[in-house]
Amino acid sequence: MLEIKDLRVSYGQDVILNGIDLELGSGETLAIVGESGTGKTTLGLSIMCLTEGTVRGVIRFNGKDLLTLSDNEMQQIRWSQIAMVFQNSNNVLNPVYTVLNQIMEPMVEHGLKSRDEARDRAAELLRYFGFPRDRFSAYPHQLSGGEQQRVLLAMAMANNPELLILDEPLSSLDAASRTEVGNLLRETDKHGAKLVATHDLDTVSKLADRMAVLYGGKIIEAGLTRDVLSRPRHPYTRALIRAYPNMTTVKDLQGIKGRMTRPVSGCPFHPRCTQVIDICRTKTPHLVWSEGRHIACHRGGIITLLSTKNLTTSFGSLKAIESVDLHIEAGETLALVGQTGSGKTTLAKTIMGLHQPTEGDVYLEDAKVDNRGKDFYKRVQMVFQNPGESLSHRLSVLEAVMEPLDIQGIGTDEERKERAIQVLGEVELPQTRDFLNKYPHQLSGGEMQRLAIARALVLDPALLIADEPTAFLDTSVQAKILKLLLNLQEQRGLSMLYITHDIAAARKVSDRIAVMLDGRVIEEGPSSEIIAAPKQEYTKSLLAAASALHSTKSSGIEQQKLNSQ
Amino acid sequence: MHIDLKKEIKESGPGRTGLIILLLMIAVALLAPVIAPYNPYQQSTASLLPPSWNHWLGTNHVGQDIWSRLVFGARTSLLVGFGVGILSTLLGTIFGVSAALLGGLYEKVVMRIVDAFIVIPMIIIVILISAYIRPSILTLILLLSLLSWQGGARIVRAQALSLKERGHVAAARSFGAHHFYIAWRHIVPDLGPILLVDFIYSVRRAVFMEAGLAFLGITDPTVVSWGMMMRDALSFSYLDVWQWWLVPTGVALSLIIIGLTFVGHAAEPVIEPRLRGAEVA
Repeated sequence: MLEIKDLRVSYGQDVILNGIDLELGSGETLAIVGESGTGKTTLGLSIMCLTEGTVRGVIRFNGKDLLTLSDNEMQQIRWSQIAMVFQNSNNVLNPVYTVLNQIMEPMVEHGLKSRDEARDRAAELLRYFGFPRDRFSAYPHQLSGGEQQRVLLAMAMANNPELLILDEPLSSLDAASRTEVGNLLRETDKHGAKLVATHDLDTVSKLADRMAVLYGGKIIEAGLTRDVLSRPRHPYTRALIRAYPNMTTVKDLQGIKGRMTRPVSGCPFHPRCTQVIDICRTKTPHLVWSEGRHIACHRGGIITLLSTKNLTTSFGSLKAIESVDLHIEAGETLALVGQTGSGKTTLAKTIMGLHQPTEGDVYLEDAKVDNRGKDFYKRVQMVFQNPGESLSHRLSVLEAVMEPLDIQGIGTDEERKERAIQVLGEVELPQTRDFLNKYPHQLSGGEMQRLAIARALVLDPALLIADEPTAFLDTSVQAKILKLLLNLQEQRGLSMLYITHDIAAARKVSDRIAVMLDGRVIEEGPSSEIIAAPKQEYTKSLLAAASALHSTKSSGIEQQKLNSQ
Repeated sequence: MHIDLKKEIKESGPGRTGLIILLLMIAVALLAPVIAPYNPYQQSTASLLPPSWNHWLGTNHVGQDIWSRLVFGARTSLLVGFGVGILSTLLGTIFGVSAALLGGLYEKVVMRIVDAFIVIPMIIIVILISAYIRPSILTLILLLSLLSWQGGARIVRAQALSLKERGHVAAARSFGAHHFYIAWRHIVPDLGPILLVDFIYSVRRAVFMEAGLAFLGITDPTVVSWGMMMRDALSFSYLDVWQWWLVPTGVALSLIIIGLTFVGHAAEPVIEPRLRGAEVA
């Protein structure tokens, strides 16, 4: 019904939309998702032919190219066949009309209905969207934001348009109203198509069957809403989901590094992307179909950074780890959870080459790792379990942080020193001369842990294996360290293999959880799923034993009270 | 666990005594030309003189001043001792550390060689070889070093094996460090105290060996040596000369050995902390 081909919109020098292709059939709802400034609204306005910018490309609506129509012809289509609910409801409503008039008026004006019919229709629509009857004669300035939004929806629906463009339809509503209005919108007019422009993923999941993620004027990922939200493939989509407060994911909120900038040569997302290669800077990726998804990324979406295949490490006849298959994607945290002796550390050390595997292989970006040279260790770093031991008592703080650079032979002595001091700042350690000359035994546990992390980060690795990085720390310090790691992930796209026995901590920092028992990975999946619906008995027992703050005793009594009432 | 070697030696009575003896001996050796009134090689017709103001310890059978020879003898003794000490400790460190770090076949071969040498009595080999080649001081140092690094290597390897499992070594490896870097920056510095003890005992053994070989008359006869002096003195045992010729030489040799033993003994708890007994916290 609606087909957009290579749509380009620019205001003067500013290119807002840069080659949009999309199709929308009748009865379908497509969500256009993106941060503010990505061009969502411009896209809606372009379809309505209401932009003031230069528009090129093809917008075909029921076979007619809207961009070639005269103003008059467009006037016919607008509102009656294509209606739009604008984002900024305050300015859209005419302040001198009452609510009911507001909705009637266009119907009368277009000569579609008599005044009485129009009034009935308007009242019906308002009731449908849950607008209180006693406020029909109110003026716009007397309405709350939510009420205004309902009025706008009613206006747009007045003529049962074939295509409804909704710009942030639920944003101004509170949570309860959102669900209500969302349901209403989904139920209304199942034959008409809807295009929902929003930054709000909740709206997307409530309204849309399909979604397209817009960034820098281009669609970067598109697919079924369900698939895209549960398994984002583009780094931007994942970042967007991570930044979105919701009840499904359990990981702490994370932002996206940097700010959106335009114009950008190459991939529009590359300045903020964490897996950039040379081509991303020079060439714009095309939207291609791959594995049930449209995706525009030179790297085919989020890459798998490291994987193990059938990895087994034995000490004599004891198999410390057995047939471990894991993969870690770029920029994600995989938490490895299990009790002491389950082989977590052995797995980490085997990946690091500190133990020789008896069987199986490790792959770094799909290339098999045979001899680990400096190149490997530049990309994969480990924070060891006991920071005190991993620091040589002979090295001062500065020397300890410089050591990896010394070993790798990176830069001059001055540059190394500068870099080391910079990294100390990143892990929030003092950069004073006094501190630089301290020795490990003069540091506190938290400081040692930060120092150990700084050592691992000074090489700017892609993957950080953190083995119980907070085991020896107070909870307050632990919280800071975990926050720090998440921040680093946000800033650098650091992937993490986070090893812990504490599933409660894992839940907060990880995208996925793998549960280990007796050297085997018995369960693996998105953290939210493992936490909410564990399949293995062992995982259930881990969850049951995990830290919780409600007192079991008092809650039992409360429960009884509630029951008796 | 941090062991302060200096403290360890200074705080033990015998250790302090030993250190003083050693320092004195070294001072004598270094200042030999100043202390000795005569050229130790200069012969004269005045042979077998008893002690006098001119010749404190008399003269020997070819008229050389015994005191001067005693003073210069300290040089030979300490030169051989410290030369062998340094060289054999170096060899022991190289082979011990490399065997521990590289492992595999290399380690097996090196350690079997070490075992073989430890089983064979070194003194016999040294005597046999020396009898053939009549070694100069340098050759003697090389020969003794080649035959005496093995014990040290074994101790060093054992310690390095334990050191290489330390967290900071694993960390260094995880930064991409090669064996040499790990050995040099992370293993050897922590071996320090052990190497010192090994060094002291090597020195002691070498001093003793040198004297023994000279006594047997199978070293370079042109170099003053306490062993040789004792041998010469013994052939005149029917005279009174042993009192100022044999006894002072024997005492000098014994002092060096005792000094080294005391220092070594005081430092030994470093290798085996259990020897320290109850005072260990």
